[in-house]
Amino acid sequence: MRNMLSPSLFVRSALLVCAVAGGLSASAQCRSFAKNKCVPELAPYKFNETFNAAQLAPGEEAEVNLTFYSGQEYRVMVCTHPILGEVNWKLVDENNKIVFESLADEPKKFFDLKAGSTVPMKVVVWVPNKGSSSMVHVGCVAIMVGFKE
Amino acid sequence: MRKYLWPAAFIVAASLAGCGGEPAAQDQLTVDTATDSTKEERMAKTKKIFYNIPSPMETAALLKKAGAQYNSKILNDVKNVDKYTAASQQALNLGVYGADLSYASVFNHTQESMFYTSCSRKLADRLGVTNAFNDSTLELMQSKMNDRDALLDIISTTYWDVDAYLKENGRDNISALMIAGGWVEGLYVATQVTTTNDTPDLRRRIAEQKHALDDLVALVSSYGVEDARLDGVKGDLAALQELFKEIKTPEPGATTTEENGVTVIGGNEPPATLTDDQLTAIRDKAASIRNSYIN
Repeated sequence: MRNMLSPSLFVRSALLVCAVAGGLSASAQCRSFAKNKCVPELAPYKFNETFNAAQLAPGEEAEVNLTFYSGQEYRVMVCTHPILGEVNWKLVDENNKIVFESLADEPKKFFDLKAGSTVPMKVVVWVPNKGSSSMVHVGCVAIMVGFKE
Repeated sequence: MRKYLWPAAFIVAASLAGCGGEPAAQDQLTVDTATDSTKEERMAKTKKIFYNIPSPMETAALLKKAGAQYNSKILNDVKNVDKYTAASQQALNLGVYGADLSYASVFNHTQESMFYTSCSRKLADRLGVTNAFNDSTLELMQSKMNDRDALLDIISTTYWDVDAYLKENGRDNISALMIAGGWVEGLYVATQVTTTNDTPDLRRRIAEQKHALDDLVALVSSYGVEDARLDGVKGDLAALQELFKEIKTPEPGATTTEENGVTVIGGNEPPATLTDDQLTAIRDKAASIRNSYIN
């Protein structure tokens, strides 16, 4: 009985509950952020319906494999929560040749393109490390693709 | 005892209040790293890889552009919806009905769109995805029945919500089944359309699905969980991959040019195409896989 009520046990239980709930909540926040802040910015392109978003921290990387279909026009956009600051991202072909690059010190929000032929490509996003801060800021990064119908 | 109860209750209440509930305006987490090892652990995490499979709406739009005609007879019967009792069947057929819904909507067959919406809603409900697809979504769709663009936007957002909801709740395997079901239905519809309306553009669009199929196989294979249905789907896709392997696609590497200030990627390569034999083989295989999902 004494053990059940000890403060340390409660604290640990509370932190465990918080960690689990926090993980789910963070994902939900990422969906909410992508839906409310990023999708509208794709206009006039139609959102391609695929959820490519993750919570990233400095030093972490995400990539999306995608195919552009010939004759179609696309907008590729990387949308980042302000807590992370600007991120680096690039669009590369199957040989890893860079077709477009946006670096954190000169960021570009989106890249519009037309596919002359059907090409598989890859979007790579990486969050730059910032100094020796003891805080790790984790924020939502959404990689969005829009197309013209 | 009381001395310990109040602080502990306060901590639990504060933790739950801070972690639960609907997502607030603040969309980030700040993790205080007390030790360097925690930070290093986080940094050492592998990168997150996504596979962007063309959505049912994108596929339907490509079919329309390629000159496909609408044929309601090839779509899954709405009466089948009550047959799907296992979660894996429900997920696959949520994808199938989602693709049929997109096909009907893109070709502006509003009444059929509503039937397929109703089927998708039922399956989403049974899968516990009511947060993303509920009665208010249905009401909104009904109110926009005569506004095609608005309807397409609602369908796109709903599909995205369902996919995101499944992923954020750790049900990635269900999401993968839904995506696979939708892609297989899209391939089935495209290949069936060629029986009455065979055009070079349509053949090219089918041939180009080779890339999407490779990504879909990678997506389905990326889950470490033991899932017999997912393994079955993996086998189906591998069988299709064997047939697509024969199709010639351009060498890797994209050239870029400028056209009216817009970057054009590729364009010098001959388009992928299908011979009669390849088309027949893919059509038959797609039909047999799709029929095993819907029956």
